[in-house]
Amino acid sequence: MKILCILLPHFPLKCETLRHAGINSCSVIITRAIGSQKLVLDHSPELNNLCVGMPLQQALSSHGEAELMHADIPYYWTVFNEILDALEEKSPLVEGTDLGEVYIGLDGLHLIYEDDDVTVSAMHEAIPAAFDARIGIAEGKFPSCLAAQYNPAGSYKTIDGNITAFLKDLSCDFLPVSLKSKDKLHEFGLHTMGQIVSLSPGPLQAQFGPEGKRIWELVNGIDDTPLYPRMREENIEENTTLSSVTTSLDVILMAIETLLSRAFIRFESKGMGMRSINLWTRSWLAEHWERSINFKEPAMNTKTALSRIKQIMENAPQPGPIEQLGIKVTGLGCQHGKQRSLFTEVRANDHLLNDIKQLEFRLGGPQLYRVKEVEPWSRIPERRYALTPLSR
Amino acid sequence: MVADTRKTLRADTLKPINLPEPVHVEESQSGLPVMVQIKRRQRIIAVEDRWRIDDEWWRTESISRIYYAVILASGQRLVLSKNLIDNCWYRQSY
Repeated sequence: MKILCILLPHFPLKCETLRHAGINSCSVIITRAIGSQKLVLDHSPELNNLCVGMPLQQALSSHGEAELMHADIPYYWTVFNEILDALEEKSPLVEGTDLGEVYIGLDGLHLIYEDDDVTVSAMHEAIPAAFDARIGIAEGKFPSCLAAQYNPAGSYKTIDGNITAFLKDLSCDFLPVSLKSKDKLHEFGLHTMGQIVSLSPGPLQAQFGPEGKRIWELVNGIDDTPLYPRMREENIEENTTLSSVTTSLDVILMAIETLLSRAFIRFESKGMGMRSINLWTRSWLAEHWERSINFKEPAMNTKTALSRIKQIMENAPQPGPIEQLGIKVTGLGCQHGKQRSLFTEVRANDHLLNDIKQLEFRLGGPQLYRVKEVEPWSRIPERRYALTPLSR
Repeated sequence: MVADTRKTLRADTLKPINLPEPVHVEESQSGLPVMVQIKRRQRIIAVEDRWRIDDEWWRTESISRIYYAVILASGQRLVLSKNLIDNCWYRQSY
């Protein structure tokens, strides 16, 4: 399948530039907190030796003068989704699973756009010029992504026919495989993709397992990774800004309750409930916190949803006093009924055992026992019977 | 449906029941129980039966007990046992 890849380099930084034009003049590192660790999400292009996912401490050791900025992921996704929406007007097959990386299926588009030049200019129209889109076209995601990377902003590169010729001088570090495999390739003296092409798949598979086969296929220009176009879904998002920053859980829960009520109004009448939501908060220092919450059974009302959220909020410390928070409903579901069995006693026993096991998981250790004959003939009274856990 | 923990049922998950319960007993000179304290001191008016158990002599903690089926002054029937290893008295339904 012919695929067009659009890369928007330094996408989070460009998004921030749209909001704060002043950051163009200084060196910025955008950070993201994962648990207690802070990682680099993006940085100004002039800051060398930095890469995405690098620990902040390591980044600051080489660029201590850089200004730090907390990532505003919901905002970046809002901007990215707007771009994807615009691209969907050009092609129905648009995939955008990572920020700043878009894949578009070109099959059938020649009926609308006569050649690649017209297609690319149509795509450029959908993307604001500030994002310096780089475009590559090839058979498969991997070669198209490489073509986009090796292309200056504003133009495009098409790889037709001999993909291996294009790949042969490129470093193995471009391969979308694990870091361990890349290190191992270098240890074997395989630094470029051209060096791997000369090998047969067998030895690679023997050394790298299933990833070896994938490496061999990629360097030979074979990439059958399917395109996952965006699915149309109803987007239910609610957010609010608190009147004053707070650390009080009660106030936060009250705000969440309001958001839940607003969200429920939008689908309650369809008889549906929440199956999963993304809850996010933003502290007054602009730190972002996000958590995905799944409900065992779809929550059909605010009260049920809130009780689960309360449990999570009590155990999840916030990065600081909260200023803004929001929810995004990521899954809707209908309430499940419990099927009654014709043989009610059998089913009742199953349910009872289930409840007992649930009790054990919550309280730890066996909670209910049954008296069992062990040595009923024994002359020693305490050896005759014993208590065994009811759930076993 | 809660998943089975697949935990092995070990001996320590079994809880023994009817373990001997220590009680305070006063003995006569011949070693028979005469008074027992269960909440309050009560006189033993009769010994209905008496039997001895010697078992598990091959283990480090062998069992050697004398059981007495006694009648208290209140009319209550009780089984007392004297552990001949530690010379302590216990109450246990038999």
